[in-house]
Amino acid sequence: MEEAREYQVNLEVFQGPLDLLLFLIRKKKISIHDIPIASITREYLDYLDRKGRINLEREGEFLLIAALLIYIKSQMLLPRESMGEEEEDPRNILVSRLLDYQKIKTASTLLREKEDKQMRLWQRTAPPLQSNDEYELSEVSLFDLAEAFLTLMKKKERGNFRLINGKDFSLEEKMKELIDLLKERKFLDFMEFFYSQESIEAALVSFFCLLELIKTGIVIAVQKSLFDSIEVWLRQEIRS
Amino acid sequence: MRTRLKDVIESLIFISLEPLTLEKIKGICTEFSEKEIEDAIKELTENYSSNQRGIQIIQAAGGYLFSTKSEHDQWVRRLLKLEQKNKLSHAALETLATVAYHQPITLAEISALRGVDATHSLKTLLQRKLVKITGRKKSPGRPLIYRTTDRFLTYFGLISLNDLPTEEEIIKILDEEKNPD
Repeated sequence: MEEAREYQVNLEVFQGPLDLLLFLIRKKKISIHDIPIASITREYLDYLDRKGRINLEREGEFLLIAALLIYIKSQMLLPRESMGEEEEDPRNILVSRLLDYQKIKTASTLLREKEDKQMRLWQRTAPPLQSNDEYELSEVSLFDLAEAFLTLMKKKERGNFRLINGKDFSLEEKMKELIDLLKERKFLDFMEFFYSQESIEAALVSFFCLLELIKTGIVIAVQKSLFDSIEVWLRQEIRS
Repeated sequence: MRTRLKDVIESLIFISLEPLTLEKIKGICTEFSEKEIEDAIKELTENYSSNQRGIQIIQAAGGYLFSTKSEHDQWVRRLLKLEQKNKLSHAALETLATVAYHQPITLAEISALRGVDATHSLKTLLQRKLVKITGRKKSPGRPLIYRTTDRFLTYFGLISLNDLPTEEEIIKILDEEKNPD
């Protein structure tokens, strides 16, 4: 995670330097367009004092903002010849950044509400049964799989491989990756999945994983018709 | 007996794996006028949204699809043996909102807007197929450009990107937060 998670303002959603600033701004109930930087930095320093121990990595982010604030303030205090017309008020930079960020924050709260609502709705994910005579989903045999795999390896070999990285692939990791992917996408196109592998080794390991998963009954491989692409589905009851 | 268009559309939506678009329905039901089709869809969705049914027809990513109703969530989860769907993390959601409102956008631009590095959360979003890479920006370093996907729309139950909360709505909420009564 890239955030400084541990910073605790006693309000729910705040994190990160801009959040702290926003929080302070809100608490003081001042307009965002008129930030009295001195009092904000003072308050921030108080917070640091109270904290006693400082986690450099985390507070560094805050300090950066504090320094920015002081810089902006100093720029404001210094007399300038052309102030007003050509030069932009340095506060504006921060203000517009804050405004943009506030908008994003609000937008994500709105999206969260939608997510909550949407999470409780369920749609069918299994393929509807094809009553069509032309093709029927049939479970493929090991040989079909192996054949498809070989065709693929041939295709892959023809590709432009420059360097083979000495990477280690763990079966367990790949298997987890495959299951996660299946949980996410419901089903995978067998060919597509192998094409997406970065190297022959990775493709090989993925193939072993697939065989293992089929053997243990976690996934099922189906084919709509002869020579069609093979789809891999996670068995419904395994989804949990 | 005459085939009822409403019933035809119902079967079409039923058999579709992805949201079924109006265009597709029109392309299939060529014997009917656009008006007839639109009316039939309206009637159908209204039928479903009445309290007589356990499922409903929702609109997402520009099409129609069947969905359970939210009040039945717990039973559906019991059947599927699922606790709850994985929600997006706070960071991922914020990054996603940034992409949604500022697309097309680069990683550097996202990070600048959020004030923190967004590499990790963007990766998560790519994996969950909520955002996609659509090209490179013609600027120094030729950084990758990101956009939201159709899956993003379905995920949040949005019909299209225009369905996102508007800037005005957001500003209104911000103002309300600033002056609580």
